[in-house]
Amino acid sequence: MQKYIWLVPLLPLIGAAINGLLGRKLRFSETVIGGIAVGSVALSFLISLTAVYSYGHAGWPKPYLTSQDGFSFNWIPGGAVSINQGSDARREIQSQKQVEERLAAMTPEERRQTQSILVATVDSPRYSLLNIEWSYQLDPLSSIFMLIVTGVGLCIFVFATGYMHGETGFYRFFAYMGLFMFAMLVLVMGSNFLMMFVGWEGVGLCSYLLIGYYFDRQEAANASRKAFITNRVGDFGFALAIFGVIATFGSAQYTEVFEQAKSFPIELLGHWGILSWIALGLFIGACGKSAQLPLHVWLPDAMAGPTPVYALIHAATMVTAGLYMVTRTNVIFQHSQTMLLVVALIGAATAIFAATIGITQNDIKKVLAYSTVSQLGFMFMACGVGAFAIGIFHVMTHAFFKALMFLGAGSVIHGMHHEQDMRRMGGLKKYMPYTYWTFMAGWLAICGIIPFSGFWSKDEILWKSAETTYIPLGWLVWLIGTIAATCTAFYMTRLMAMTFWGKERFLEGAGGEADEAHASAYDKGLAAHDALQPSAGDRPRHEPGEHVGPVHEDAAHHAATHGHGDGHHGAHMPHESPPSMWVPLAVLALLAVIGGFVGIGPAFRTITGSEHPGGNLNIVTWLNPVIWNPATRDFNTAEGGHEAAPAEGAHAEAPVAAEGAHGGAAIYGDTGFNLAHSVENSTHSELATEWIFIVISLVVAGIGILLGVLFYVWRPELPNIWAQRLRPLYNASYNKYWVDEFYGLTVTRRTMDAARGVYRFDSKIVDGIVNGLAWLSRQASRIVGGVDKYFVDGLVNTVAAFIARLMSPLFRAAQTGFTQNYALVMVLGLMVAVAAFYGKDIALAVATAVRNITGTVF
Amino acid sequence: MLNFFSPTLALLFQEAERSRLGEMFYQTRAAAANPDLSKFLVIGALLFIIGVAGVLTRRNIIVIFMSIELILNAANLNFIAFSRYLSQTGNPNAVAGQIFAVFVIVVAAAEAAIGLGIVIALYRNKETIWVDEIDLLKW
Repeated sequence: MQKYIWLVPLLPLIGAAINGLLGRKLRFSETVIGGIAVGSVALSFLISLTAVYSYGHAGWPKPYLTSQDGFSFNWIPGGAVSINQGSDARREIQSQKQVEERLAAMTPEERRQTQSILVATVDSPRYSLLNIEWSYQLDPLSSIFMLIVTGVGLCIFVFATGYMHGETGFYRFFAYMGLFMFAMLVLVMGSNFLMMFVGWEGVGLCSYLLIGYYFDRQEAANASRKAFITNRVGDFGFALAIFGVIATFGSAQYTEVFEQAKSFPIELLGHWGILSWIALGLFIGACGKSAQLPLHVWLPDAMAGPTPVYALIHAATMVTAGLYMVTRTNVIFQHSQTMLLVVALIGAATAIFAATIGITQNDIKKVLAYSTVSQLGFMFMACGVGAFAIGIFHVMTHAFFKALMFLGAGSVIHGMHHEQDMRRMGGLKKYMPYTYWTFMAGWLAICGIIPFSGFWSKDEILWKSAETTYIPLGWLVWLIGTIAATCTAFYMTRLMAMTFWGKERFLEGAGGEADEAHASAYDKGLAAHDALQPSAGDRPRHEPGEHVGPVHEDAAHHAATHGHGDGHHGAHMPHESPPSMWVPLAVLALLAVIGGFVGIGPAFRTITGSEHPGGNLNIVTWLNPVIWNPATRDFNTAEGGHEAAPAEGAHAEAPVAAEGAHGGAAIYGDTGFNLAHSVENSTHSELATEWIFIVISLVVAGIGILLGVLFYVWRPELPNIWAQRLRPLYNASYNKYWVDEFYGLTVTRRTMDAARGVYRFDSKIVDGIVNGLAWLSRQASRIVGGVDKYFVDGLVNTVAAFIARLMSPLFRAAQTGFTQNYALVMVLGLMVAVAAFYGKDIALAVATAVRNITGTVF
Repeated sequence: MLNFFSPTLALLFQEAERSRLGEMFYQTRAAAANPDLSKFLVIGALLFIIGVAGVLTRRNIIVIFMSIELILNAANLNFIAFSRYLSQTGNPNAVAGQIFAVFVIVVAAAEAAIGLGIVIALYRNKETIWVDEIDLLKW
């Protein structure tokens, strides 16, 4: 099946093409459209599954399997490129020995300063043949993403067939979704940077289209534009990084680039070598796509799209593209200690920032949106501290539980008749049991309760932050992460309590505090909606002229269960969602419960009997071949590679630990205070240290949950009291730290002003010049026209008239009309001709005759 | 047409060279008994000139027709004369001139018929046969 992985992205594209191009024209029913979409994704999932199985099964470890022998073609035949930036480094590699001699002569401090910039001075530029091919690559990383994208995507597609039921533009929705699947799969399966870029832009486009699915609503249109424009900032950095990669390595193919990159010198903190700049560009791209500070603003607004969209794109797959990219290029990132630190700090800042916002939001989707941003921050923390595999692990578990919770929220919204405000929910446990129990699994997972999936990944991230030897300030990252984890547990418990537990607030009539809150809970600029209207969240809209789908057979039943259109809003009772919606929830819930077992950490080795239990099925072991090891300066392709990585097994065994610690120190210099090592120094036990951190993270999760229960179940009056006491903090969090306002004031308005200025410049000066030139030409042409009309034509006319007047009597006189005149002229002409030809002869003859006759000579 | 004249002229010149004022009468007598080619040509030329002059000068269209007949007959006379001359020199094709003369007569008859028809039509329209009153070619 490995040969057929090119079908994996192609099938959703075909499905999307059929739905998008023919769906409207042929008036497909929802069954057909849903069948095509779900079927294509299911086929993709099956192919991925078998391909990954056969890949992991045979010939392991096999770091890369590009489909060059199966399916590839020359996409961009580029030609020769001159490589200037990389030449120095390459020269250094060639004369490695000299460099080492010079380094040996230095003091350690000098060496640290010089190591990365010690390069040979003169070198002629190298040349490379740049050919960019379209081929797919199957390796541990892409296989994980293939399975996440197609597998979770399949669940979401099935869910969407239920959720989008009766929606206008049903075909359009699934066409966009299929297109998104295609772009996302190209992104994660491509074998070079340009293909990643194509997928990157493709998912950006589909995100734009899907957020703006209800394009007749102002907020959706605004949100889609916001997402697109914010992503452009990141894409700019990414594009620059790709240029840098091509200029440095002369290739865009991952295998070639990383093969060269791994022998580049490591750039220590504060040194900005070429790889640091490339990493910076890549990380800017990742920030845009993965909604990291300061480019996170688009993600919470993106919930204006339909809920399955949010689950698919903005929780499970697309936003993790940044993680994928950082992990894919971990060679480059690990070469730059500065960028590792930046990544870790940005990730930590985003985690705490979004988590604190999530505490005060009242819209169920908004809470989940900020939760997503926060969890993405956790993933970047993992990458920043060098634990790339753990970052991907968290991507995976997060994809399970966040997709689950988003679909659960969609189910709640569906059941609540498009009500999104949590203050109008409560007690839904009774009405929506399936949703409740599946949501419960997601809640426990994200809170990090053992043994749910979120625990394994989040705990590993915090542990890696504490014990990292890659960057300084690991303890700070750990501290922020722990606080953010507490906040996460708190706000997720709050969400559970407000939605599923407690009083059934939807039974209360509209008005009062809830109504006031309701009005302000939604984005500003919304059309005012009163309490008797369904709230603005996911309300289906029928676009004018659009195919509204087949008439539902039991329209009465439909109206009764969904209650659209009847006036008794207060009397709506929540109802459980149809099986097409809760079955995917159940599948995802199962994954959220057990998904973490593929990454059980080394702390449990006494129980599981192995550092990374599960053999190749353990995610760390599985990802080893794509993770570069700074100690060995190579990928962990050797068997048992998990032992060699300082990121993974620094404390596993004594020799490796020594190598990891000292090697790490030698590689990255002094990283200062290390929390884990300090604790270890006092406990004198590695295992105990690890368990201390596990207990800490469990305790903070418990504290968060207890606080949540205290605030929203036991003492429901407490939130208001504390909101009053901490009014400034509450306001800051409720208003999302005014980042949007700040951007509006600084960026948006300035940009608009600049645009207006440019417009004015254009309309006044540029257009003025153009119009002036046009005016000048008009005047000039008028003058020239005058000259032509009066002078040239006059001259011609004058001459013609003169000639005509002069000559016409002459010629007219010749034309008498009398035949005899013409005959006379003919005779005269004849005589003249004869005279011309024979005049001499005639004269001679006449003269001779006269002489003969008269005898005289003239 | 000029080539047609050249042998005629050459013979004319020969004749003029031979003539002497003193021998003129003798020659005239001999020529009258057995006229040679030049006599015919001179007569033809005279006829032609009279015809042309008539065509150019007369106002009555009938007279102009008659003058045209003169021109045609001048040509006929030349044909016959050359035919005779050539037969005297033994040329087997000499009869061609006589045949041409017959053709000319036929053509002249046809031309006279058409011409008179035109004249009648003209007279019916313009009530005149004076050519200086007919200047239709001007328009």
